Amino acid sequence: MGEGRVSPNWVVLSLMLACLAAWLILDAVSVAPNRIVPGSAYAALEIMSGWPALLLTAPMLAVVVLAWRPDQQRLKLALATTVLLLALLPLWLSAATAVLVEPSMPQARVGIGPSLWLLLFLLLLVLIELRTRLALSRSMGWCLLLPMIVSWWLSLALWLEPLALQREYQARSAQFTSALTMHLVLVGAAVAASLVLAALLALAMRRHAGIRRAGFGVLNFLQTIPSLALFGLLLAPLAWLGTHVDWLAAIGVSGIGWAPAFLALLGYSLLPMVRNIHVALEEVDPAVIESARGMGMSRRQVFLQVRLPLALPIVIEGIRITTVQAIGLTAVAALIGAGGLGTFIFQGLGQAAMDMVLLGALPIIVMALFADALFGSLSERLRQGGTA
Amino acid sequence: MKPGSLLARHVAPVPTSRRWLVPMAWFILLLMLSAGMGQLEWLFRLVEPDVREVIYRRAGFFALLGQHVMVVGVASLLAVLLGVGGAIAVTRPAGRDFLPLVSQLASIGQTFPPVAVLALAVPALGFGTLPIVVALLLYGLLPIVRNTLAGIDGIDPDVHEAARGMGMTAGEVLRQVELPLAAPVIIAGIRTSVTVNIATAALGATVGASNLGDPIIAGIVNGNTAYIVQGALLIGLLAITVDSVFERLQPASQA
Repeated sequence: MGEGRVSPNWVVLSLMLACLAAWLILDAVSVAPNRIVPGSAYAALEIMSGWPALLLTAPMLAVVVLAWRPDQQRLKLALATTVLLLALLPLWLSAATAVLVEPSMPQARVGIGPSLWLLLFLLLLVLIELRTRLALSRSMGWCLLLPMIVSWWLSLALWLEPLALQREYQARSAQFTSALTMHLVLVGAAVAASLVLAALLALAMRRHAGIRRAGFGVLNFLQTIPSLALFGLLLAPLAWLGTHVDWLAAIGVSGIGWAPAFLALLGYSLLPMVRNIHVALEEVDPAVIESARGMGMSRRQVFLQVRLPLALPIVIEGIRITTVQAIGLTAVAALIGAGGLGTFIFQGLGQAAMDMVLLGALPIIVMALFADALFGSLSERLRQGGTA
Repeated sequence: MKPGSLLARHVAPVPTSRRWLVPMAWFILLLMLSAGMGQLEWLFRLVEPDVREVIYRRAGFFALLGQHVMVVGVASLLAVLLGVGGAIAVTRPAGRDFLPLVSQLASIGQTFPPVAVLALAVPALGFGTLPIVVALLLYGLLPIVRNTLAGIDGIDPDVHEAARGMGMTAGEVLRQVELPLAAPVIIAGIRTSVTVNIATAALGATVGASNLGDPIIAGIVNGNTAYIVQGALLIGLLAITVDSVFERLQPASQA
């Protein structure tokens, strides 16, 4: 490293070179005449005699050059270029679709190839890296995704009807909406119920050491039991209850369906929730409590006005962990007939229909990331508010 | 200061032979149950009195257990090698550039549900054992990387300084100071990784790998609770056995 020279940003450099290689070598799209016949794959350079693909390599090369001697200005330029690239991908895909799919093929399906997936992943990594280097805020990071989202939405609405994922969605849009709703309801109900139960449990634990030891023992034990096994084990007792207890049967309790799923989700949600609420209530500085009491606050006031506000960020952290976990576990619950987006995953796996698998898996990942970001920023904000 | 003494402080003073009693008990129970599931036919008859077959016989439980352990073992071993290796690499001066990206990736990746990772591996790699091993490897990497980074990062800079001052080389500092000090956190990460992987591997039965998830899936499909109980019991026991082994390995510092 000589004086006055900045060393290259190796991270962006290597990621971008990987992007270039993926773009130029791997298959970008595949076209199949219908759902059953396997498609034929095309590399980006083979489509539209290659020039739009080469056009896209220009911004990639630009980022490589910018990352070679990075300063604040150049990194910002590289960031803008990356955002542009992410927004250009769906437009390129639209153009490729228009060229490859002839009007005589009304059932044609366009699949997204490994090159595009890889590019999407690598470009998002570049975005994360640049955001960190430039020390941009979390919300700014989300804003950077907006051009890409708008571009995808526009392309999907106008030009990407033959996209296999889109076709799969259109074939079962009503089913998709109800699965999504069921997923959200199950997650919401489990998290809400576990919040209430965990609060009661944590308060009881504060009073009695015995309850604390037994409670954490049972909950830790529960957490090690694999989800599939727990869902399965709940089938039998609930089936028995559903057939022998009339009022339970009337509200829809049976071995298959929402009841075992809800109970299992509740069981898994309790441990992180109880742990965080317990820690939150324990960790408030005793001196703060002391001075609040000294100011003449009653026990109740101390709890409501001092303990609770100080504990809230940690409790929300618990909600974050629980929600993310429940979103994933609800997908497994589809196996015992609880509905939700997991239905598409397992049906798709059963029929070897990979686009259907994606239709289930992608929204689940988006939901998990969204819940993580939402509660993460909420707890961060409350924490800042608390210390200010 | 002998570097070994740094670790010795954390280890609980229970004699070694006694410490392994609990995991051994779980392990023996697991083996006995895999071998003697057929002997318990009368018990499962109580659960499912009406069906023709109450014991899952499409494959032996030992074989299923073996395959389950094999898949999780291979994936976890690779995850440990890659995860710890990668985390060490990005905390060295030469790899420092990659540290922010890797640590962010490890924490973002943890929000991906394991089922979704498994589901995405199948379109990419086809059906069978390979996508499961890859999915488990990828998913198992994250907690290991995250904890190794946290463990190495959490070491007091003064300790580092002192070790260098004693004339240790960078390699010696890593082997004799950093890794032993970070060990409890790293082991906690491996524990999370393996426990989650045992559960996720069971889902592999839906993508054509045969393992302990098979009886559960077969039971759900055929409405045969006895099959479900058999699969669930064995997976549960395997998870508890492995978890109790890690509990012994992991020094007492635990929330």
